[in-house]
Amino acid sequence: MRNLCLYLTLMGAASGQVRFEDILKGPGENWLTYAGDYQGQRHSALKQITVDNAGSLTPQWVHHIAKANGLRTCPIVYDGVMYITNSNELRALDARTGRLIWQYKEGRSKKQDVNRGAAILGDRVFFVTSDIYLVALDRRTGAVLWQKKYGSTEDGLYASAAPLVLKDKVLVGVSGGDTGMRGYVTAISPSTGEELWRTYTIPAKGEPGSETWGKYVDYGGGATWLSGTYDPALNVVYWTTGNPWPDFYGGDRGGDNLYSCSLLALDADTGKKKWHFQFTPHDTHDWDAQAWPVLVDLPYKGSPQKLVLHANRNGFFYVLNRVTGEFLNATRLVDKLDWASGIDAKGRPILIPGKDPTPEGTRACPGVRGATNWMSPSFNPSTGLLYVVTLEQCDLYTSSAKEPEPKKNFSGGGAGPKPSEVGQFFLRAYDPKTGERKWEYPMTGPGESWAGTVSTAGGVVFFGDDDGQLVALDARNGKHLWHFQMGEGLTASPMTYAVDGKQYVAIASATAIFSFGLFEPVRPVALPKIKIE
Amino acid sequence: MRFCVALCLAAAWPVAAQHEKEGEKPKHPFIGDAKAIEAGRTLFGGGCAACHGAEGQGGRGPNLRERVMWHPLEDDTLFSAIQKGIPGGGMPAANLPEDQAWQVVAFVRSLTSPAYENPVAGDVKIGQELFWGKAGCSGCHQIQGRGGKLGPDLTNIGATRAAPQLREAIVDPDADGAPNYRGATVVLKSGKTLRGVARNRTNYSLQLQDADGNLHLLSMAEVSELTLTKGSPMPKDFAQRLGKPEIDNLVAYLSRQSLRPPEPKKKKEESK
Repeated sequence: MRNLCLYLTLMGAASGQVRFEDILKGPGENWLTYAGDYQGQRHSALKQITVDNAGSLTPQWVHHIAKANGLRTCPIVYDGVMYITNSNELRALDARTGRLIWQYKEGRSKKQDVNRGAAILGDRVFFVTSDIYLVALDRRTGAVLWQKKYGSTEDGLYASAAPLVLKDKVLVGVSGGDTGMRGYVTAISPSTGEELWRTYTIPAKGEPGSETWGKYVDYGGGATWLSGTYDPALNVVYWTTGNPWPDFYGGDRGGDNLYSCSLLALDADTGKKKWHFQFTPHDTHDWDAQAWPVLVDLPYKGSPQKLVLHANRNGFFYVLNRVTGEFLNATRLVDKLDWASGIDAKGRPILIPGKDPTPEGTRACPGVRGATNWMSPSFNPSTGLLYVVTLEQCDLYTSSAKEPEPKKNFSGGGAGPKPSEVGQFFLRAYDPKTGERKWEYPMTGPGESWAGTVSTAGGVVFFGDDDGQLVALDARNGKHLWHFQMGEGLTASPMTYAVDGKQYVAIASATAIFSFGLFEPVRPVALPKIKIE
Repeated sequence: MRFCVALCLAAAWPVAAQHEKEGEKPKHPFIGDAKAIEAGRTLFGGGCAACHGAEGQGGRGPNLRERVMWHPLEDDTLFSAIQKGIPGGGMPAANLPEDQAWQVVAFVRSLTSPAYENPVAGDVKIGQELFWGKAGCSGCHQIQGRGGKLGPDLTNIGATRAAPQLREAIVDPDADGAPNYRGATVVLKSGKTLRGVARNRTNYSLQLQDADGNLHLLSMAEVSELTLTKGSPMPKDFAQRLGKPEIDNLVAYLSRQSLRPPEPKKKKEESK
């Protein structure tokens, strides 16, 4: 549909501001947060692309980013404009054609690290630079309005996550948990750049929880390198935390190492911790909890419940009450899982002895990449299924008792698979009410994917596979509908949006943004009269 | 179409900051040092300017401000070229004392490094008054969210452009061809007319931005007539209207525009 009346209507809307209420609506034409919504469901109301017609998807455009190296960005889209990020860079694209509208690049950043995406509110679009500035840009012109430094690379930190915008705050986290640092979540005013609150994930010496650490509590890790999710009714932010440091050597940090490998529920107004749940106490396998906490309301064991679902890197699939943090259930996410025999009634793993890393090496499952990781899951309310990219892999974990040196790229050991035991990825559909695996779709590939999923009201679930293909499956049963080989590895999650009544599905490859839509013959374009004066 | 005053500075090629990134070789302490640059300017004027121009703009010798070389010279290579000359290339050896040769390197680097890292002639405060007043720059350009929306944002212009580039953009706005900021008047097949700048275009689509900053993402199938300015829509008579002292002041003000403060200079080594 390309009629001018509709176009002008849309252009009228384009001058409007992105309101908090627009984000609350969830994804339709627009996709306004990294996950599309506040709940982390990544489920779009769009249904032009269906199980019946998905086979007719074709590429609509490709936007190449020269010198990009493993793009992690998930685009956001507002009124026909797509915002994507690369390291220290944000671009605005015409979402219908892929043409560049403007570009902001911060050449002064001392670090060049990955970036996962942007956030939008009002007339502003936000992103972080690798050297830990939050940058606010005019979403239409790309003019920079302010930058706020909210951390220092000299403290072992960098930044990579997409910011999370609330009604009157921009929330950002920090990366760097593999080299010794102290993670935190910071709230910043979207209008002025003023810091409003900061909550550390690792207690300071003397604070409650610090007794669960040894001598390196000041560098305990607990990085916050993935965005959080948000329950507007409870006004609670859910943010996961990274591994304790040193990653693979726990000898100097006896105890649970709170609040590493945890889910934190934070009061959105103050940042005050309401509750926490630690998935992997005293982790020695680098099993960050950096996977998306997905918020769903479901009948659970006979009564409606506000739940948070978490497919964890440690190999278990958790269901918690998101009001209280009460542990409700945990089931096996993957088959290759041998460090714990299960999760007890309080949510604590029942350890199998002999699985800690050693100088000689210890084989343990899942592998260091985890049973899943930061690749986005999605939840379809119609099927009631959670779609999770999972990895079946075991690794040899080694440890080093060398005196840890913070900020010196020391992680206390390492891990990796035997060449003969490279893992295999699967897209799996889980029923949150029971933890039951309803179907699975095996992938081929080298075991190196970081690509996630998106679900649509058209009954299709899209995901990037381990062989560089965007794949569409029937969300009900995992039946293959369509695929497209993108020519390089995928390290980002797909999303969907609409412009002028046409639905698109977009995903970043290593070096480009691809956008797909249902096939339509190209109509001849008569060149207009062009004058140069 | 009528355009307000517009400087197309941001369309020019950005320059690289002089501070080190992680893993980079440390710079000589004279690079970015105000005193060394001024001393280098004097030396340059006495020996190099005859061929390269007083501001490195070129003459009998090459222009030192434009990035015409495929491989940018390292500071050490530049130092060596100054000292030893270019045999067969027409450039004689300077054979200066080492410190003086590094002062010349510092000056040459200042021609292509961010303006805010280097001393500039002109009065910043008077330049500010000009920008927001008589010169009319703010009619089209923004700094930290204030100003017009048709021209490039100048909030960080001192950190991304060298002082000679700032000057050139004021007196010769078409020098870089004004990509992404050509003035555009679009007559749609509906009869409606839109005016703004073409941020991008092909034969099949046009990304137009109007004076209020609104985007009009058009299919060319909707367009019956498109009129583009030949270069930048910015007035071309600043050199006549303002005069050198006022342009110096404008350059001084623009050179200080950066949301990030300059990196603190590392402690200078004692001169030998």
